Amino acid sequence: MSAVVSRRTFLRTSVTATGGLLLSFGWDGPAPLGAQPATLQPNGFVRLAADGTVTIWSKNPDMGQGVKTALPMILAEEMDADWSRVQVRDAELDRAKFGGQGSGGSGSMREEWDLYRNAGAAMRELLAGAAAETWQVPRASVRTERGRVLHAASGRALEYGALVMPASRRPIPQAPVWKDPSSFTLLGTRVPGVDTDGIVHGRPLYGIDVRLPGMRYAAIARCPVFNGRVASVDDAAALRVPGVRQVVRIPGHENPTFLMPGVAVVADSTWAAFKGRDALRVQWEEGAFAAETSETIAAQCATLAATPGTTVRAVGDVESALASAARVIDVHYEAPFLAHATLEPHNCTADVRDGHCFITGPLQMQTSGARVVAAVTGLPVERVHVQATRLGGGFGRRLLSDYAAEAAVVSQAVGGPVQVVGTREDDLRHDYYRPAGARRLRVGVDAAGHITAWDCHLVNISRNAYRRGDGPPWSTETYGLVAGVSAAIGPDLELDLVPWQIPHVRLRYSEPRTGVATGAWRAPAHVANGFAVETLLDEIAQTTGRSPVDLRLELYGTTRALPAAGEDPTPYSPDRMAAVLRLAAERGGFAQRPPEGRVRGLAAHYTFGSYCAQVVELSVTPAAGTAPRRVTVHAVTCALDCGLVVNRSGLEAQAQGGIIDGLGHAFFGAITIDRGRAVEGNFDRYRLIRHREAPRAIDVHVVPSTLRPTGFGEIAVPVIAPAIANAIAAATGQRLRRTPFLRDGYTLG
Amino acid sequence: MPEIVMQVNGRRHTVDVDPETPLLWVLRDALGLVGTKFGCGGGFCGACTVHVDGAATRACTLPLARVNGRAVVTIEGLAHPVQQAWADLDVAQCGYCQAGQLMTAAALLARTPSPTDDEIAAGMHGNLCRCGTYMRIREAVRRAASLAASPGAGVAR
Ligand code: FES
Ligand code: FES
Repeated sequence: MSAVVSRRTFLRTSVTATGGLLLSFGWDGPAPLGAQPATLQPNGFVRLAADGTVTIWSKNPDMGQGVKTALPMILAEEMDADWSRVQVRDAELDRAKFGGQGSGGSGSMREEWDLYRNAGAAMRELLAGAAAETWQVPRASVRTERGRVLHAASGRALEYGALVMPASRRPIPQAPVWKDPSSFTLLGTRVPGVDTDGIVHGRPLYGIDVRLPGMRYAAIARCPVFNGRVASVDDAAALRVPGVRQVVRIPGHENPTFLMPGVAVVADSTWAAFKGRDALRVQWEEGAFAAETSETIAAQCATLAATPGTTVRAVGDVESALASAARVIDVHYEAPFLAHATLEPHNCTADVRDGHCFITGPLQMQTSGARVVAAVTGLPVERVHVQATRLGGGFGRRLLSDYAAEAAVVSQAVGGPVQVVGTREDDLRHDYYRPAGARRLRVGVDAAGHITAWDCHLVNISRNAYRRGDGPPWSTETYGLVAGVSAAIGPDLELDLVPWQIPHVRLRYSEPRTGVATGAWRAPAHVANGFAVETLLDEIAQTTGRSPVDLRLELYGTTRALPAAGEDPTPYSPDRMAAVLRLAAERGGFAQRPPEGRVRGLAAHYTFGSYCAQVVELSVTPAAGTAPRRVTVHAVTCALDCGLVVNRSGLEAQAQGGIIDGLGHAFFGAITIDRGRAVEGNFDRYRLIRHREAPRAIDVHVVPSTLRPTGFGEIAVPVIAPAIANAIAAATGQRLRRTPFLRDGYTLG
Repeated sequence: MPEIVMQVNGRRHTVDVDPETPLLWVLRDALGLVGTKFGCGGGFCGACTVHVDGAATRACTLPLARVNGRAVVTIEGLAHPVQQAWADLDVAQCGYCQAGQLMTAAALLARTPSPTDDEIAAGMHGNLCRCGTYMRIREAVRRAASLAASPGAGVAR
């Protein structure tokens, strides 16, 4: 019988070989022996100690989107806790306590709102009830405020900490009453991130910072050609590198988003693992896609765009409407592969022993990560324990858990704790890329400038097909495209289509085949689709002499004109879309003349329950003539509606960061495929936006709202590139129909 | 192997790892100072920035041999108004680049105590932030400059 390994004692503290470093990474430690301080913990989310300290667990991991601050704020607000007494911890994976865990699809605010409010309200009710009982006064005569219960009639007050014992004897309220948003004092304010102090002092917070006793480091050689396999390995030279201990073959999993095949070199330090990996001699079986290039993929898209494709949605009769239109605009758009390039490279630490696997690392999705680890190790999923650390960026890369699977299988082979670390080259050349593709759009306009027909043929590599998902290949690639409104087709949640008031609409799809690995990239599909839709609208407005604002308002229609949206607590609302558009246009001065030498551009988009419109002001030098032309972004005005604001600082940060991310990738981002492999290996070739290239100012305006909050980690990203392209068209007359803009001679500065 | 002697955050260390090893990995794996971050390994991103004899330096491309007899300060040893300014303005998103940003900003302010926006942009150009915190970084450098200039300016701890 194997020894029982308690997850409670695992990883509590550790000291590196050279001493001194104490890491806890959130695993709950054993309860101290002897007198235990009394605590009140009515649920898995919150604990109150007798000294008044409140501990709140963030069930989902923070990758910069601020969830580790925002989720606890919701609970603290409902509980009326004193925020200065709140400590926040990263929750370990625990289905019983927390339900499904993971951060994705801008979903934490939408999905966890009820849980965190209920958890806080239950705590408040317990404490208020305990105080009323202590004072022998009616419950209705006491109220809570900033960590205390008050009885106004007698002027008495009790600190929350003093109520731990009496409150713990009370029944836990099952349906506690929520506070009225008008009484909120914490939500809507600016609260700095809870890890700020650790970040500015360089404390260990990230997966790559994990250090365990006896831990080894591993680097993995993977086939440079996607889908290749290991044919043979000569590891003699690698094993001679000082510090290298062992070489482990990784067979890979039939699902390539779980685990890719490779060869791991295990060593005493990261550097020795890198050197050992460089010294490996591996023969690869390159497989069927070894001749692929970006050009062959683009040619395939062009060929498919000329076929009828599969009709995904149709309203009315698009072909006849196009045939009878006063004018038809027929355009073709292209989008390249993009890498995620999280600044913290790919890494994870695993310790497989005694029939359990302990994962500590930057997992975006703990629940599905545990399933992946179980699948590759053969362990039952209940024996896979996951502690997510802070993530040094996600952008969709860490929705997959391949790095956890790698760490687990290497640890299993080694029989001890192992940290797998990727280099930047590993990260950029073995990513699961934003899929490349093309869109052909044909739009019919009548003599008065109204859009009568909209035909979109989407020819995009499918990440759903790549991940072996259920459902048709287009189900992951249509987000942000346009659906017509009919009795049967409202907002289509599954395909994330936007209902517009156009009588004849058709959406077709064709699937290019490739070996290139694909996955979700921040605001997946929305970035490429939103670019095409929003730049095309601007072009239609210009050709028909209409205002880009009025044209959009006409297409949105009103909320009343839509069929009911079923169960969705935050259904798509054209009224909210119209409100952000008007707000951005007004604050960004879109109707006014820009300063001499500058132009303005506008775009809007709906993503994952949130609404965004942006107006940019930029100049292009030289305005005419030959490349390269420099685009200076003087100002971005961003209007947002994400429902009730939880943390204003976090919201504005995500808007600014999303704009800068979208801007940088619009100008520079592209992964090139050559001979079946990704070309760009580091930031010299995969260029990210730098300080000097950022906008001079970004102003964020939020529509005041008491509606249920929706996510804001992605919404700003798809809007900026079309707003910029529309302004560039105003300045130069040139319509950009592909990214990166650098390919058409535009740079930033 | 020749021993390398260096000072890190005021403490003397004698290290006997391969002198070709980049300082970054000596700090992270041998000394357990994981605050200095690995971002690219090629000098492109600035995540690994430390001070060597007061100058902002990329630890990922600096062989240990070149640090012999010199004084290194890492984020763990930094005590500078930039840290307070970064906290006040809630600069960090994921935070991974910020150790490098702080080290670069502190060195920039040592050279240029009240930089213009252009000087900030030029001085911070080598530090990538994948999350796009550039707007707040610019504000925070300005704020740190004024914190440093005001008498009795607090030092973050
Ligand atoms: S890690 Fe040193 S510059 Fe990027
Ligand atoms: S804060 Fe994430 S890379 Fe800068």
